[in-house]
Amino acid sequence: MLSERIVTDVLLAALSTGGDFAEIFMEDTYNTSISMIDGKVEQGVNGRDYGVGIRIYQGFRSVYAYTNNTSRENLMKVALEAAAALAGSRQVQSIVLNRMCVEKFNPVRLEPQRVGQKEKVEVMKRAHNAAANFHEQISQVAITYLDVDQSVFIANSEGLMVDDRRIRTRLGINAVASKGNEKQSAFRGPGRHMGFELYEQIDVEEIARDAAQSAVTMVNADYAPSGKYPVIIDNEFGGVIFHEACGHGLEATSVAKGASVFAGKLGQKVASEIVTAVDDGSIPNAWGSQNIDDEGFKTRRNVLIENGILKGYMIDRLNGRRMGMEPTGNSRRQSYKYAPTSRMTNTFICAGESTKEEIIANTEYALFARRMGGGSVNPATGEFNFAVAEGYIVRNGKIEKPVRGATLIGKGSDVLLKIDMVGSNLATGQGMCGSLSGSIPADVGQPTIRVTEMTVGGRKEAE
Amino acid sequence: MDVRQFKDKVFQAGREAGLEEMEIYAVSSKDLSIRVFQKEVDDYTLSVGQGVGFRARFAGKIGYAYAETLDEDSVYMLVEGAKANAQIIDSEDEIVFFAGAEDYPTVKAYNPELEQVTPEAKIEYAKELEKEAFAADERVSLVNWAAVGYREAEAYIANTLGLEQSFSRNGAYTYVSALVKENEQVKSGGRSRYSNSWADFNARELAKEAVGEAASLLNADTVKSGEYRVLLRYDVVRTFLATFASVFSAEAVQKGLSLLAGKLGEQIASPLVTLIDDPLLENGAASTPFDGEGVPTRTKDVIAAGELKTYLHNLKTAKKDGVESTGNASRASFKSTVGISPTNFYIKPGELGYEELVRELGSGLIIISVQGAHSGANPVSGDFSLGAYGYLVEDGKIARPVDQITIAGNFFQLLQDVEAIGSDLEFGGPGMGGNVGAPSLIVTKLAVAGN
Repeated sequence: MLSERIVTDVLLAALSTGGDFAEIFMEDTYNTSISMIDGKVEQGVNGRDYGVGIRIYQGFRSVYAYTNNTSRENLMKVALEAAAALAGSRQVQSIVLNRMCVEKFNPVRLEPQRVGQKEKVEVMKRAHNAAANFHEQISQVAITYLDVDQSVFIANSEGLMVDDRRIRTRLGINAVASKGNEKQSAFRGPGRHMGFELYEQIDVEEIARDAAQSAVTMVNADYAPSGKYPVIIDNEFGGVIFHEACGHGLEATSVAKGASVFAGKLGQKVASEIVTAVDDGSIPNAWGSQNIDDEGFKTRRNVLIENGILKGYMIDRLNGRRMGMEPTGNSRRQSYKYAPTSRMTNTFICAGESTKEEIIANTEYALFARRMGGGSVNPATGEFNFAVAEGYIVRNGKIEKPVRGATLIGKGSDVLLKIDMVGSNLATGQGMCGSLSGSIPADVGQPTIRVTEMTVGGRKEAE
Repeated sequence: MDVRQFKDKVFQAGREAGLEEMEIYAVSSKDLSIRVFQKEVDDYTLSVGQGVGFRARFAGKIGYAYAETLDEDSVYMLVEGAKANAQIIDSEDEIVFFAGAEDYPTVKAYNPELEQVTPEAKIEYAKELEKEAFAADERVSLVNWAAVGYREAEAYIANTLGLEQSFSRNGAYTYVSALVKENEQVKSGGRSRYSNSWADFNARELAKEAVGEAASLLNADTVKSGEYRVLLRYDVVRTFLATFASVFSAEAVQKGLSLLAGKLGEQIASPLVTLIDDPLLENGAASTPFDGEGVPTRTKDVIAAGELKTYLHNLKTAKKDGVESTGNASRASFKSTVGISPTNFYIKPGELGYEELVRELGSGLIIISVQGAHSGANPVSGDFSLGAYGYLVEDGKIARPVDQITIAGNFFQLLQDVEAIGSDLEFGGPGMGGNVGAPSLIVTKLAVAGN
């Protein structure tokens, strides 16, 4: 993308005022998004994101600048402007670049850019038809199609020079069910780090019917009872609870500044002993996987919690400096417009020993959250909130009835200790995670788990 | 190349490719954001960015494309991309381009003095924020955010019907958040502000408010579940307004995604409630003389004394309803297709000060923060169930802090249940778009889940 000569000159310019490390991140991304409502294509947008981000460190200080104009002249100007935010004399005199080859473990067979818009629309129509025809109460179906083809080039003053290409494909299915004046919607969003061959591997119709089923069930459901009682959280997207309530607190972004409840707790018991949790950016073709992270480090499997004991954090280069620890391949950013920081990739609670049926059969009374909605957390206090997208009441070992409108609140650190059953049915779901370095694709996951007690918010008084 | 030259090239290439009407919407911006941590500049990000959104009619349908670099490759990519996308559109919606108007309102939203504030002065200010936060209370264990930012942006729109307009705006924002620790208990409090007058940025005042709030929440506990009369602080009301703003969009109404369908002229809120959309507000974060389609903007009551007066329209929805566009076509960015959104959108303040509202509440809950509005609120049904915290009020006085609760209800019911409106109108900071404003208000009841 950029010549070695320009890269070296720009990095040296960035280091002219005493910086001890500089990095260039260049991106050229083509993306497609198409939206369909009620079977009709409403909009299609093709876009090209293009630019360069330049980062400089001086000790723990960090300066970041970005631009769309990648001429040598402008890059030199931006590098010097960024450098002007630091004060000192040059420490790095010369840079020798070494091209690094990365193992590409996320094979792509059908590049989305080579697939016509009409074929993409065909997939959307299949999803639409399956959901729309599922039940007479389905009043609207909205489908979104997305693909992203991101080429990146990363070089730094330690001599690293590497490039990578990330191709991701995703389908969003939103089904709305109506009954009288009431409406309930359900969303499914299967996606992978792969090309258009995704649609040979997933059953689009079945996923669309599942969304429709969920919306219909909820529109006919009563409101959830509020109060403190046991909660069973199902596998797959249920892992968003771990992602929000614990994962964010294990990112070096919060840990390095002591702004996390998990700071300083390595080696201590932070969860029930049946809980083991992992972040793994090296799973072939998973939604949150990358061959390398956005600082050029290889992604890998990082054990966060093992049998209840805190084993590790997710660490980027700058926070690694602050913490005196090695980066873990977790540095990510939405685009060149963001400085990278420690983020999750594919994060999940590992499989345990119980079956889902056993968990339900052994429960006297609980909320069964079959499908979680989104949530958020304050990493400083660990306080979280989640919406339950599809819930049921379990009574005397059986699923009794669907309930809607439930919210789960609590503290991540408390919940981890209160997990008393872990299922064997680990599965993952796809999400977009928003944080300091923008919105990035991330897998969440877990088997079915049971929490002895959580605060359930809802519109109805406790039963 | 310059955006005007680029426009000419794209229109030329588009004509050769058989495109009919074409439109360019370009944004160029300059940003600086600074964050201080432990007396050092922890993050310093500066950027000069640009981007061009392109839409064009081909065989009667509209296709979109965007690019961030104004080179020959982008000219080709925009024309071919928009043409390919036009060919997959099924929607029968009639899209009209706007030829421009004789007159546009005069709007002031660019303050040249703000541009003159040096990076050094901003760094000093951020350091001051952190220092003042630590000074405000000895229990402050960490100031996890002490940040300030500046942004200026110019929007430019031109089409083949002759429309050509541009407008510049600038503003600064600041955010401070502190953790207060006592007996292993940690509480956080934050404050943000958006303005394009540097004089509005008072580090001490902002830090004191943030820390004071965190400290006031120490030893919070939950409350008994049940229905409570509630005072929603201005920033919580703002969150509700921002979360449910889409129900006022004619697009949502026409698609059956707003329960306000068919309610024009009806009493949808308490007579105390007047909701205003004011694009002409001086120095407002969303002030603009023209909207995302180049239509002149105007100020209007969306709700007047409880009565629903209008939906928010762009040209497409207006045509469908046989009315005039309200000038609310929006482009969330140059990458976005044309949608609808409010501009400076606020509830008209009442007479009562905050203290008077607390007395007026008598007994009930004050909610000062809600969490999870992006997931726990459903704009279609109006239902919400959100994590919350605040204070328990007894005999018109704050009795103690409250946390670990959820509040649940319905937005449309909440509008009807407004019993009192405060005078403390304040617009939001970054992340809230800066363009939504509200005073504090009292509502009859919300369902609270606690113990």
